[in-house]
Amino acid sequence: MKRGAVEIRIGLGSCGVASGGEAVRDALVRAGATVKTVGCNGMCYREPLVEVVDADGRVATYGNVTPEMARSIVRRHIRAGWRWQAEAPAPPKRRIVLENCGIIDPLNIDDYLARDGYRALAKGLSPDEVIAAITESGLRGRGGAGFPTGRKWALARAQPGAIKYVICNGDEGDPGAFMDRLVLESDPHRVLEGLAIAAYAIGAAEGYLYIRAEYPLAVRHTRAAIRQATGRGLLGRLHLEVREGAGAFVCGEETALIQSLEGKRGVPKLRPPYPVERGFRGQPTLINNVETLASVPWIIRHGAGAFAALGTKSSRGTKVFALAGKVNRGGLIEVPMGITIREVVEGIGGGIRNGRRFKAVQLGGPSGGCIPARLADTPIDYDALAETGAIMGSGGLVVLDDRDCMVDIARFFLKFTQAESCGKCTFCRIGTKRMLEILERLCEGKGRPDDLEKLETLADYVGRASLCGLGQTAPNPVLTTLRYFRDEYEAHLHERRCPAGRCPALIRYRVTANCIGCTLCAQACPVGAIAYRPYEKHEVDDQLCTRCDMCRRACQDDAIEVL
Amino acid sequence: MTGARTGSLIAGSLVVVCVAILATDYALAPRQPFAARPAAEQKKVTDARLARKTRDGVVAWGLIAAAAAFLMFAKGVVRQEKPSAPGDRRQAKAPGPPRRAPAATPPELDLTFVDHLVAKIGRGKEAAIPLLQAIQTHYRYLPDDALHRICELTEITPAEIAGTSSFYGQFRRSPVGEHIVRVCHGTACHVSGARQISEELRRYLAIPDGEDTDAARMFTLDEVACLGCCSLAPVLMVDGHTAGKLTPATACDALKVTA
Repeated sequence: MKRGAVEIRIGLGSCGVASGGEAVRDALVRAGATVKTVGCNGMCYREPLVEVVDADGRVATYGNVTPEMARSIVRRHIRAGWRWQAEAPAPPKRRIVLENCGIIDPLNIDDYLARDGYRALAKGLSPDEVIAAITESGLRGRGGAGFPTGRKWALARAQPGAIKYVICNGDEGDPGAFMDRLVLESDPHRVLEGLAIAAYAIGAAEGYLYIRAEYPLAVRHTRAAIRQATGRGLLGRLHLEVREGAGAFVCGEETALIQSLEGKRGVPKLRPPYPVERGFRGQPTLINNVETLASVPWIIRHGAGAFAALGTKSSRGTKVFALAGKVNRGGLIEVPMGITIREVVEGIGGGIRNGRRFKAVQLGGPSGGCIPARLADTPIDYDALAETGAIMGSGGLVVLDDRDCMVDIARFFLKFTQAESCGKCTFCRIGTKRMLEILERLCEGKGRPDDLEKLETLADYVGRASLCGLGQTAPNPVLTTLRYFRDEYEAHLHERRCPAGRCPALIRYRVTANCIGCTLCAQACPVGAIAYRPYEKHEVDDQLCTRCDMCRRACQDDAIEVL
Repeated sequence: MTGARTGSLIAGSLVVVCVAILATDYALAPRQPFAARPAAEQKKVTDARLARKTRDGVVAWGLIAAAAAFLMFAKGVVRQEKPSAPGDRRQAKAPGPPRRAPAATPPELDLTFVDHLVAKIGRGKEAAIPLLQAIQTHYRYLPDDALHRICELTEITPAEIAGTSSFYGQFRRSPVGEHIVRVCHGTACHVSGARQISEELRRYLAIPDGEDTDAARMFTLDEVACLGCCSLAPVLMVDGHTAGKLTPATACDALKVTA
């Protein structure tokens, strides 16, 4: 473009589109700008994002752009060369997995090639050298369990047999995690390159990418990337194919994923034999998570030492987290291992929204646990987190504030695992159901005296007697909340009270003396529980009230309290 | 093709030969009642009987093997020929998954789509999920007739289809309204008030408890685990369009994009 810019980027990942990014792009194009459509750079809280790069490589980032703003950016910044001073450039961050996210056009292979794409694949290392490099880098599986990737590859390579498969696990079922979606949407070639390197290292000629059907954009971009890479002959004789998951959380487990690929119900199988010995179609199969594979090209290009230099002793490199919940700046972040939870929440996340108090983080989704604010100085690495009772998981990090009820959170996750249990193991199928019943009872204020002990006993049984990770870790959210927030459970049980004011059956809405009689709440109430009486103090009819919280949101004077 | 055909012919004739030998032996076997005989004659009779017995044993095993081979080859032949005339495979033999709401199924469903689909995607068991996904995209749910057709055309059995289609959360066995509203109930959405969003939408669309579609069959409400837009929580998706940072009031507005 003319004076101010050499490149104008607009983020159109799922979150960008959801925030109205397409209208902004159209406005930019109509104003005469040449726009490059990129994925998301992780700053989801500021979507739609427009970035203007000038000739010196400086990037000006505009967040929450509206079509009017877009016109103004073209007119003043790009045409006139005037720079928005208020938008400070983001501090430089070490990015490995997200290296290209938000910078390259995911549908254009040349963009990826221009940023050293497919160079790692073309480096000409022998398979053994590749595996040695991955082993030395200390990379561990990013899907949750943290199995050393190098060892997995070495095992797969050592298997006899001419036919082997590689599978990329993109069945990101954790509610609250979206790093796989973002990487596949914004930089699909990186994952393909990682998968191709894995296939080369173990000697596989066929690979599958199992991606959730809930991520249509990721599926589309990955399919396009495979076409382009195959068309350029970059993948050699490796044949890659995308398979869409059909919506089962348990299919994130590798044996269940294989069952699903074979067209069956996604029911996990007993291991051993591990998939690296006998997996898809009975052949040795290597399964790696999207993020693991996305780290591989960087490691090969920059050397194992550069990766191992980051992070802590047992957890090397960086980890991508999906930061969400009650935090000011939500989005995708890539941080070196060993950073503390507090640095993430208060530093990168910008603290808690609406000035409320930081209560806990939920880490690792339904398999993870809640870490209370007082343990916020725990470093993020596999082992330190395991000590708290949570797990790294796939990296969903949901921040909770003082209005979140921990019993309700435990109930939420158990409801999820209960629904997603495949039904194979009795303890997981029935045990989680009984646990859920207890938690629902507690949330309704109908708890029985021995409920907490019963919960603990059941949690122990379910954890020990389940076959796969889903069942083994299903009690974690309950156990961690019981461990750190037992007082809240006891308040629900003995006092029939929800301290956070969250559980509908245990709370009441009341109008305080602050009420000025403006009738906003009466207008907002969908069930007519507040009589329309202008200039009088309003009253909430407790019988009609459904605890929908609309009146409290509508009130301008903070005159509605939750008891 | 020819391999299977010649194979089945050879195996078939073998079966015929074996049966013939056995039948002849049975017919020619002496049936005189037991009587005292000289030892030499007795030995001759016994030897003949033992020899026949051994021969019949061998032939019987041959018959079993030939029959098995015949069945396998014949299956191959039938399978190759079948797709051209798929309709005549006995419908009654494929009971299929239980019918849940027969009244709601449109009376006449155009199944040519399924035929094309099977031709395109494949007939192996591994094709089950891609087939179901394509059918759901086309018909917007899984009509029983389409599933029956799948069982007729492919190697997938009715039991397998019923198992797979009920296991995965993506598949629906009952018809949907004009628009599908997916309300995200992921962790971030849950703590940001997804319950209130769902309840308000139910009230707004007047969907009775226990159902998911409004009376006019315009909107089907679906609670999903996570749409992956956590930083915009709470989120919902109407058809392909995602709306974020909702309040109960703006959630109802979000439905108007379909109007």
